[in-house]
Amino acid sequence: MRKVASVAAVVAVIGLCAWIFQCMNGLQVTGMRDQSSWGLYITNFMFFVGLSAGGLIISSAPKVFKLKGFGNISKVAVLTSIVCTILAICFVVVDLGSPWNIWHLFVYGHFTSPLMWDLCVLTLYLVLSIVYLVMLRREDDAAGVSSKLRGMSIAAFLVAILVHSVTAWIFSLNVSRAFWNTSLMAPWFVASALVSGTALVLVVVVALRRAGKLRLEDENVQKMAFILGVFVAVDLFFLFCDVLTGAYGGAGDAYDAIIMVLAGPVAPFFWAEVILGVVCLVIAFKPRLRASANLCVVASICAILGVFCKRAQIIEDGFGNVNLTYPGVETGPAVHGADGAWQGIGSALAYWPTGLECLVVLGIIALGVAVFCFVYPKIGQDR
Amino acid sequence: MQYALAIDTKRCIGCNTCAVACKIENNLPDTMWWNRVLTVGGDHTDTPQGSFPHLSMSYITLSCQHCKNPACTKVCPVGATYKDSETGIVMQDYKKCIGCRYCMAACPYNGVRNFNWREPEYTFDFSQGSEDVPSLVKGTVSKCILCNHRVKKGLEPACVAACPERARTFGDIDDPNSAISKLLASRSNYQLLDEKGTNPSVRFLS
Repeated sequence: MRKVASVAAVVAVIGLCAWIFQCMNGLQVTGMRDQSSWGLYITNFMFFVGLSAGGLIISSAPKVFKLKGFGNISKVAVLTSIVCTILAICFVVVDLGSPWNIWHLFVYGHFTSPLMWDLCVLTLYLVLSIVYLVMLRREDDAAGVSSKLRGMSIAAFLVAILVHSVTAWIFSLNVSRAFWNTSLMAPWFVASALVSGTALVLVVVVALRRAGKLRLEDENVQKMAFILGVFVAVDLFFLFCDVLTGAYGGAGDAYDAIIMVLAGPVAPFFWAEVILGVVCLVIAFKPRLRASANLCVVASICAILGVFCKRAQIIEDGFGNVNLTYPGVETGPAVHGADGAWQGIGSALAYWPTGLECLVVLGIIALGVAVFCFVYPKIGQDR
Repeated sequence: MQYALAIDTKRCIGCNTCAVACKIENNLPDTMWWNRVLTVGGDHTDTPQGSFPHLSMSYITLSCQHCKNPACTKVCPVGATYKDSETGIVMQDYKKCIGCRYCMAACPYNGVRNFNWREPEYTFDFSQGSEDVPSLVKGTVSKCILCNHRVKKGLEPACVAACPERARTFGDIDDPNSAISKLLASRSNYQLLDEKGTNPSVRFLS
């Protein structure tokens, strides 16, 4: 584990250097431009809030509803959750054009902004999950679940749902983008969070078990894989509702937005999400397949990648569909192609990340791995 | 009070003078245009739609719409973009802005908000335009502020003053006796993307 942590720390430092380079040269070193003002960083922000909320929900839900849990995964799940929350905050920070002004959020906070709501909820969420983890560790020796711990799990459970709803509202409250402006977004984000969060915890616990750092019965892995299948089914149902609602009208902004994911330049992300989801469903619901822990990990990775594809669609389709379709409506330094020419609205992806952005993202993820490896031995072996 | 622009699409010849006047007045860096002339016609700028001899082509100009119900000001987490209560102009405070670009995602009008993706670069090694204009800052959002610095002195915005066809009218649309209100009352006019509910203050006479 120490080896993994050291490698991760080195990658994190490389990412930090890349970010400093970005701060010095401005965001021109990214693939973002006036037309697509958010990119890989905000994609990852949504994605990691989801990973974090999902992990906490599956850890706390058994205590909230007094169900039999998934074995000794509670602490691992909460720790991955905490790490993912920290990473989500990092992704917002690296996205800022003037990160040196970040203190303005605390001084000039403007509370009509969903971003401000998210900041408050994320902070509350981070504090709650840390307290929750400490309580879980303390109660290791106590038999059963104390009422205090149960109260805490209820609070953590509710805030976990809220944190992903608010993240959805950052997008869905905007009238400017047809693909975002739907009330389905918040419940859908919670469903996707359950998918990616459960899948991440499953991958982590199986890896820890293989490394001999965690005891976990096969039965619990299978149970998690099955519940993952249920979450993926709900997620795909929401996806179908969204597509049907947009496409049925046959014309208009919502229709254009859906056609862009079905058959337009964003289609690879959409169909990848669908196929990955179906593969995950098959593994999760076939008892013979989910008996293999390895296949459960495959299903989980499919689920995680599927949710990431959805997050990418939100950026690509949201910014790809412009409301004003006059030629030459885009502004700012050119971004497409080596010839510097714009490829015309709707005919190409609005945004593609640069290598530097990928480095920063890798660095942040590596930071998460390093923190996890560093803290995990200290939370005590789950019983 | 709500300062507004009325743009006469019957008078506009697409000469880009307003765009250039804006760029000079506000000392805008290379590649940045707060006000642009767009072609209402074919697939490319300055091309008509239809097939010969049934061709048509006209122009609109696009800059911040100074909406009565702006989408951008609500979402700004630090209040760096705000509606000036005195003039109704949507302002932008470069000193407050943290560069999150939420306003750009929330604005339905493409490209009217311009981010400083790099340290502003200029072809000339001297500043142009008005000395009252604050310098642009790398990593913050900027946009048309209806030449607030000129309006405060009782002048018209630079784009309005420069238009050779007198296609642009500036004034207070909340005052029924202003020239712009009378003009709008006498001519049919439209707003861009009125279905979004932002109620833009820029009107196009048709």
